[in-house]
Amino acid sequence: MELQPIYIQILALVLFTIGLITALARRNVFFVLMGVELALNAVNLSFVGFAKTLPADLSVAGQIVPLFSIAVAAAEACVGLALVILIFRNRESVDSDNYSNMKG
Amino acid sequence: MTNLPLWFVPLFPLLGTILLATIAIVSSGSKKGPSEGFVGALSVLFPVLSFLSVVLLAFGMPEEGIRQTLCNWIDIPMLKVDIGFLFDGLSRVMLLFVTGIGSLIALYSIGYMHGDRGFTRFFAYINLFLFSMVVLVLSDSLLLTFLGWEGVGLCSYLLIGFWNHDLNNCKAANKAFIVNRVGDIGFLLGMLCLATLGGSAILNYDALNKFIEMLIAGGHVDLAAPILMIAGLLFFVGCTGKSAQIPLLTWLPDAMAGPTPVSALIHAATMVTSGVYLLARLSRMFSVIPEALVIILIVGMLTAFWAAVAGLFQNDIKKVLAYSTISQLGYMFMAAGAFAFDASIFHVFTHAFFKAALFLGAGAVIHSLAGEQDMRRMGGLIKKTPITACVMIFSFLAIIGFPGFAGFWSKDLILERIYTNAPYGEFFYGAGLLTAVITAVYMGRLIIMTFFGEYRGSKESEEHIHEAPASMLIPMVVLAFGAVFAGYLWADSMGIKFFEHTLAPVVGDAQNYLVSKLDIAHVNPMTFACFGTAAAVLGMIIAFAVYGRTRIPRISAKISSAPEGFKADWTFFFDYIHEIFIVMTKVAAFVVDMFVDKVLQGIQWTIGAIVEIVGDGVSAFQVRKVRVQLTLSLIGVVALVAVVLLTGGLF
Amino acid sequence: MLALIYFIILAVVAVGAALCVFLSKHPLYGGLSLVLTMLSLAGIYGLLGSPFIGVVQIMVYAGAIMMLLVFVISVLNAAKDNKTPMFDGVSIFVILGVLALAGLVGFALVLSPMGFDVTTLRGSVEMTSSNLFNTAQNGPGYFVLFEVLGLLLLSSMGAAVLMAKKRLGTDEACVEEKEEK
Repeated sequence: MELQPIYIQILALVLFTIGLITALARRNVFFVLMGVELALNAVNLSFVGFAKTLPADLSVAGQIVPLFSIAVAAAEACVGLALVILIFRNRESVDSDNYSNMKG
Repeated sequence: MTNLPLWFVPLFPLLGTILLATIAIVSSGSKKGPSEGFVGALSVLFPVLSFLSVVLLAFGMPEEGIRQTLCNWIDIPMLKVDIGFLFDGLSRVMLLFVTGIGSLIALYSIGYMHGDRGFTRFFAYINLFLFSMVVLVLSDSLLLTFLGWEGVGLCSYLLIGFWNHDLNNCKAANKAFIVNRVGDIGFLLGMLCLATLGGSAILNYDALNKFIEMLIAGGHVDLAAPILMIAGLLFFVGCTGKSAQIPLLTWLPDAMAGPTPVSALIHAATMVTSGVYLLARLSRMFSVIPEALVIILIVGMLTAFWAAVAGLFQNDIKKVLAYSTISQLGYMFMAAGAFAFDASIFHVFTHAFFKAALFLGAGAVIHSLAGEQDMRRMGGLIKKTPITACVMIFSFLAIIGFPGFAGFWSKDLILERIYTNAPYGEFFYGAGLLTAVITAVYMGRLIIMTFFGEYRGSKESEEHIHEAPASMLIPMVVLAFGAVFAGYLWADSMGIKFFEHTLAPVVGDAQNYLVSKLDIAHVNPMTFACFGTAAAVLGMIIAFAVYGRTRIPRISAKISSAPEGFKADWTFFFDYIHEIFIVMTKVAAFVVDMFVDKVLQGIQWTIGAIVEIVGDGVSAFQVRKVRVQLTLSLIGVVALVAVVLLTGGLF
Repeated sequence: MLALIYFIILAVVAVGAALCVFLSKHPLYGGLSLVLTMLSLAGIYGLLGSPFIGVVQIMVYAGAIMMLLVFVISVLNAAKDNKTPMFDGVSIFVILGVLALAGLVGFALVLSPMGFDVTTLRGSVEMTSSNLFNTAQNGPGYFVLFEVLGLLLLSSMGAAVLMAKKRLGTDEACVEEKEEK
């Protein structure tokens, strides 16, 4: 039994699923951010896994694009946390269900 | 002179209308209005010019008539109509008395409407009316006649409601116009029926006559007869509207709310005779559908009888004359129904003179009594207003058919033709004779109550009774002359048949065609003359016995002139019938309104409710929790992809 | 063979830590579990012949981002209701939905043929840098992207600072001044 590319993809899928569930099912806003980070990581893994199946000149993309993805995730986490701080100042709560102004 | 263009005749009244309307509008701001002498002179000038043109054209008219086309009116693939004029024997006769009596009445109105602020407006309307009537008579196609037909209806409305500050006048004007309109639908549908046979070219009278002759020559009459019958009856409906026959006659008594010259001109001499004129023009068409003529005969007889009895029940002098007009029109239609179109036109001619004279005389009486119209408050006026009394007595003798006067020749001619030509001629003749007796009775009643006996009005008004001014007397006297002598144009027993020869080219073919299918019993005209005279004399005796001998009680000034009880029921019989139809229409309108209202509102409510429910359902997806919304969009994507997958899309 | 064993170990650790993120009560526990997941993912990157990415993952993700996250959790956790209930009816809904999505994707993945290519380049630093900073005309255009990324990071930093700083003259500033007095 050798390492098959499909195993990597399955792992990525599982991690993505768990990350998405965390993001959507937890009420605490920090868990939402953590779930998003997890999903992004899973996508990076999928990229790298696919790059290994490609011939030489095309497989470079598998190194470059995850790099960019990490950088963007960093920027996004930074801005997201700033937003959390801002909301927290207003609402005094980390429960994302309380952040809505809608009725019903 | 035949080189005078035909369009001169309607041109002068049209110019008069425009000029007088301009003067009226320009002077509408001033309090007193323009100078009456100037306006009066203008307004008589134009009808007189028109009359002179007709006279010039009349002398030298070739036997088959003059035909001129002015210009093209409508030119579309479906309909091609020209504005054309036809001046033959029939239009010559009609135009002579229309423009002549029009000029006389314009002269009369200068005196009658003296002091009225709407003086100029009145004459503008009169000139417009004369223009429309000339167009009606002079046109060579049904469509242009219809234009004139509508025009005279419009002017009738304008003139009846002339004193428009009184609501009753406006209601009477509306009634006249609307009832006329109902008849006009018949005219229009008749034109459509004819057009289905021969296209729009058949609306020209010459083309129509040629078409009928072609049918007769080819023996195809039976093919076209049903449609022609329908067209004929529809045209007759139009005639009942315009000429006040059963069932569309309720407007004419109410039309007496207008000034008396209007009643004289429009509702005695000219407009109401346009129905008879139409029948004479379409005589060739009616000659192939004799069943329609029988219907016309019956309707005319019923109208003549009914109106004569109603005239007996009236107290207002003008209403008596109105019902008398309806009755005489019934005689004219009876003549047409008895295949004697020329006799009906002859009666139109003589009736114009004596009825206009009667109306103008009544107007002079009303003027001298300062507005009193109820005959029960008149009496003994012969001493105070002798000339008016003479005019009215001569016209009275004419209308009852006293020998030597105009009505004698025309009415007896009609009765003679009815006896010889009509199916069950004796029955219709007897009805006509009975109506003549009643005519003599109510006219005698009018003359006796107005001019003889003692004055039954108030003492103050007795001092003010005076003879009418000259401008009013001259036309009355001229018309009285006409009432006496106009009948001699066709004195059958004396052998003068001038009138008949004039009309022969127009209606002769039709009459000969119809009469040739009957076998006429030879009768002595003197028999009819005796019977007619006897009827007239009998009526005079009855009137004298009932109204002359007995003393008519004085009534107070406050009692209205309207008839009461059974008399009211007889008089307003057709108003009741119309009321039934109006109520039915109102009920139908109410039902439709309720239905549409509820149904439309129901539909609107349903659509609104659907939108509301869908909106409520969709808004249930809007929840407070963001995560639920995100999950829902995720599920949406999943569903979409699953659907695409299952339908064999992607893989 | 060995690769597979290494992979399985690292995968189990990653998934386990992810599940701990999902199931943890306190955010700090969740954050720490997330760090563990990222470390194991870095190991898998190394296994897959991309050592550069693995190291970058540790440096940036596990190092900087998670540190920031943990820091903010600690700062804000002085809040009243950090004992928010973990799961409610919506969670079932979410789980079902996401599982459906995963099922679809997995179905698609399993059906597609994949195989490792032997000529794949190893993601060393030299290789990555030479491709990233290749400014040749007909080369891959990642350099421009790199510069843009720099701009993005700068702008997000500026935005975060602007958003989160205290405004002078607002109630909080006044309250703080009063507290200081």
